[in-house]
Amino acid sequence: MQKRGYFFILDATLGLFVLVIGVFLVLSFTLEVPPQTQVGLIAGDIINFLSSTKIKDLNNPYAGIGGELWKQGLITDEENTLLQQAGEFYYKKREDLAEKFLQNVSMPIVPSQFRYEVWMDGSRLYPKNPGPEHVSSRDGTNILLTSKKVEFGIANKTTSEIWGPYKAEVFAWQR
Amino acid sequence: MAALRPIMGRKGIFFTFIAITIIAVFILVYTPTANISLQKDTSSVRSRISVLDRYLSQLEGQYLETVLRASSHKAILSLVYYLNSSDPPEYLSNFDTAFYEVVMYGTINGVPIDSITGRKIMDNNTISNWTTKINHTAKDTYNVNTSIRINNVSASQSRPWAIDVVLNLNYTLQSEIANWRKDNVTVTTSVDIEGFYDPSYIVNTNRKYSPVIKKSSVEFNKWNLTYAREHLRNATYVHWQDSEAPSFLMRFTNNIAPSSCCGIESLVDPNKIPTSDQRESYVDYLFWTHVYNSQCPLLYNITNPSVIPPSQAGLWDEFPYFKLDLDHVVKYNITNEYLIGTCS
Repeated sequence: MQKRGYFFILDATLGLFVLVIGVFLVLSFTLEVPPQTQVGLIAGDIINFLSSTKIKDLNNPYAGIGGELWKQGLITDEENTLLQQAGEFYYKKREDLAEKFLQNVSMPIVPSQFRYEVWMDGSRLYPKNPGPEHVSSRDGTNILLTSKKVEFGIANKTTSEIWGPYKAEVFAWQR
Repeated sequence: MAALRPIMGRKGIFFTFIAITIIAVFILVYTPTANISLQKDTSSVRSRISVLDRYLSQLEGQYLETVLRASSHKAILSLVYYLNSSDPPEYLSNFDTAFYEVVMYGTINGVPIDSITGRKIMDNNTISNWTTKINHTAKDTYNVNTSIRINNVSASQSRPWAIDVVLNLNYTLQSEIANWRKDNVTVTTSVDIEGFYDPSYIVNTNRKYSPVIKKSSVEFNKWNLTYAREHLRNATYVHWQDSEAPSFLMRFTNNIAPSSCCGIESLVDPNKIPTSDQRESYVDYLFWTHVYNSQCPLLYNITNPSVIPPSQAGLWDEFPYFKLDLDHVVKYNITNEYLIGTCS
């Protein structure tokens, strides 16, 4: 009787062990998710960088003070943030400039394993005309995260012309 | 052995129950979803509140200030054009009421001011328009309702070259997780007066001559005849300490009381008025109010063109009949050789 009792205890323990391992494996498979935290952070990081960095703080031969756009008189307010400058280009119907500007200022800071888009007022500014690879990557991704902000600015200081307020949005996902 | 079988069978069931109970406890304890969702919810609520806090800070600290400055600038500009639109031009009866109505609703006496001036200035640029726009955009961006109630908007001057505008408001922000409410929020900004037409010239010259406000760069102790000539030629304005001139805002209502903090004045160009030779001091507010018309002994020609040599012709070579009162002769540091008493 006593030996059989041990046998049943041993049997139950082994059964329990097998069941626990089984449950653990099943839950491990079902809970496996892509690393969304990192993607979520990158979307927020991009919009934070664009909305907190001013033109005067940017060392960029294309978009910074004394750069190509500055010399051409297309950027006039050094106090504008990068997102405000992109919004101003959009308001002035220079979406081509907005795309090139955003590409210049944002590409160096985004790790290559991520893709991203910048939208303003419901229009995609970067990339303006995405390639098929970009589109299929976006359509096929499991996690597409976004970070949003309200943006506005002054289009003309002399006439006190304001642009916005627009919804600025960054979408990011892993390649 | 046969007697033992039923007992053994019952013990087996007992152990099986123990095993099932232990498994159930393990499953309950280690089910990951409960723990994760709790953390997730807390962190997402915290993150959302922080996003909305930043939005409110942007609304109060940047958006409303920018909107107030832009709308006020446009309202002042509209009021100048409004004076210019009436025939003949007339002063405003009450600047504060007119400014409030224009900056808030884009109307004056209930009529859209743009339809009177014929210029699209206030269209979609009133404070009411901008508060509606931010509400729509915030709803679209953050899914929140921003309700802004304006209590008052007023303009005044505490400095000669800028208008101080003060906006008082209450706002509420409603989201699915929290509500914000703040009463008596005060937003202030300043609007530079340089670049606006001088309302007093519009009315007094019947729109024939209206210089744009432009500050003179001459320091108070550096004036002389040459600088006075430049001052007159460029139609620049000057502020004297303890000024007796009216401020820019006072010029909308023909209020010529002295404004010691903010009074500004220019010199009237005799070439640009219908009758060049008048027995007046050509300092603008004194000229319009004929203060020296009956005080001729205090007036000086600067200078009579018949004076020989011509280098001492004063200002009459370019600005014939130009006169100043004694107080301004001293302020502009016009020396004796250029002064000829008007009635002497």
